[in-house]
Amino acid sequence: MCSRFRLFISILFLVAAMPLQAQVFSTNNGKVQFRSDAPLELIRASSDQMKGKLDIGRKLFAFSVPVSTFEGFNNPLQKEHFNENYMESNLHPNATFSGKIIEDIDFSVPGKYTVRAKGNLVVHGVSQERIIKSELTVTPSGCSILSNFTVLLADHQIPIPKVVHEKLASEIKVEVKASLIKP
Amino acid sequence: MRKMFGYAMLAIAVAISAMGAGHAQDTTDLLSQLEQEVIGDNKSATNYTTATFKTTRLINGHTVENVARGVLDVKISHRFGKLNNGLYELFGLDNATMRMGLDYGITSTLMVGFGRSTHQKTLDAFFKWKILRQSTGKRRMPITLSYVPTVALKTLKFEDPNRKNYFSSRLFFSHQLIIGRKFSEGTSIQLMPTLVHRNLVTYADEPNDILALGIGGRQKISKRVSINAEYYYQHPDYKLRGTTNSLSLGFDIETGGHVFQLHVTNSQGMAERTFITETTGLWEKGDLYFGFNISRVFTVGKRKRG
Repeated sequence: MCSRFRLFISILFLVAAMPLQAQVFSTNNGKVQFRSDAPLELIRASSDQMKGKLDIGRKLFAFSVPVSTFEGFNNPLQKEHFNENYMESNLHPNATFSGKIIEDIDFSVPGKYTVRAKGNLVVHGVSQERIIKSELTVTPSGCSILSNFTVLLADHQIPIPKVVHEKLASEIKVEVKASLIKP
Repeated sequence: MRKMFGYAMLAIAVAISAMGAGHAQDTTDLLSQLEQEVIGDNKSATNYTTATFKTTRLINGHTVENVARGVLDVKISHRFGKLNNGLYELFGLDNATMRMGLDYGITSTLMVGFGRSTHQKTLDAFFKWKILRQSTGKRRMPITLSYVPTVALKTLKFEDPNRKNYFSSRLFFSHQLIIGRKFSEGTSIQLMPTLVHRNLVTYADEPNDILALGIGGRQKISKRVSINAEYYYQHPDYKLRGTTNSLSLGFDIETGGHVFQLHVTNSQGMAERTFITETTGLWEKGDLYFGFNISRVFTVGKRKRG
């Protein structure tokens, strides 16, 4: 009786200690593009090194892109200034967005869903709570996301010097594309 | 029985704590997992240090910076007359010498440039090769090392056209190593051992080869402004007669594609052999030249699509 009880207790221990087996979709090569459309200059750059994780059980997500991986720009000096003067990427190496999906989605049924992602967008080390609309497509291998939103430089304490006022938009258009794959 | 009760309590406690942990796991957990991956990536990749200096010149001489591949840098530099010439010469502004130059980046580690100075009607050409690049991550390198050879051609008419003059007498060469390090976001320092060769010297006892050691650096005082200093030391017994060491102080002001450099120096020339070996001004006497360099970059090579 006593040994059987011990066995039961041991099983209980094992079950309790077992981590909740959450299914997490992930990506290592999500694409982030941005566009600054100012009267005198159009600046575009993109990175395909966004990492992302989506815990479909708890509807939690996190995305992170290294700021210094953005390429494009109108000249190499512009990229240097982007990192050195505006984003200060040595101090704030990553831009991140993490939070929870508001809608319930059945990840077992392939199809297109429009979802709202609520979370903290951290750019230039400054966090802003945002609800970002995104198109989520469930595929047999995982899901893909496509999202367009804007970022106000002022929201993230990125000042625009007077001399470049006509060359830098105060509102930056961002597009994020990623395929998250089942483990 | 008591023992069993103890087991049961323990099991419940563990179960509750595990559940608690499950609740506490939120997005910060996913984000920290991502951060761990990023840290791992950084260790397996090499991150090169950028923006050690704002432009390819410190004041008169070179920095460890190159212009990027496919970028043309138009440089226009002025040195006015001596400040101690007084109001009559408007503190030197009535007399100016200038250098116009073009620098071009062939690859990210090799640039070439040429220019013409009004000072002694000199043409000059150089290349700058980055041998080592300061980096962190997989390949760690504490310094950037560059090699800059220059050749200069003095096209001023020979002083004595009646004697036998050789073309080679117009030529000057210099070889410079630049060892630089960006110590922090705002502070960069470099050492510049330099050899200057001249084919013709004025006096028989003057050396044809002069070895000098330069030291220079910058300290940023805001995101777009830095204070620069540059000094070239020559051995007192091993230099041209009546010359002194070059000391220059200045500012870099960066506005988008332009860099403005404003400075005060005791050297009038802007090529290696002139400011390193032919400086005659003395700071303590006020033999100083106010000057500026303007750099404007243009992307002329093919640009990668973003």
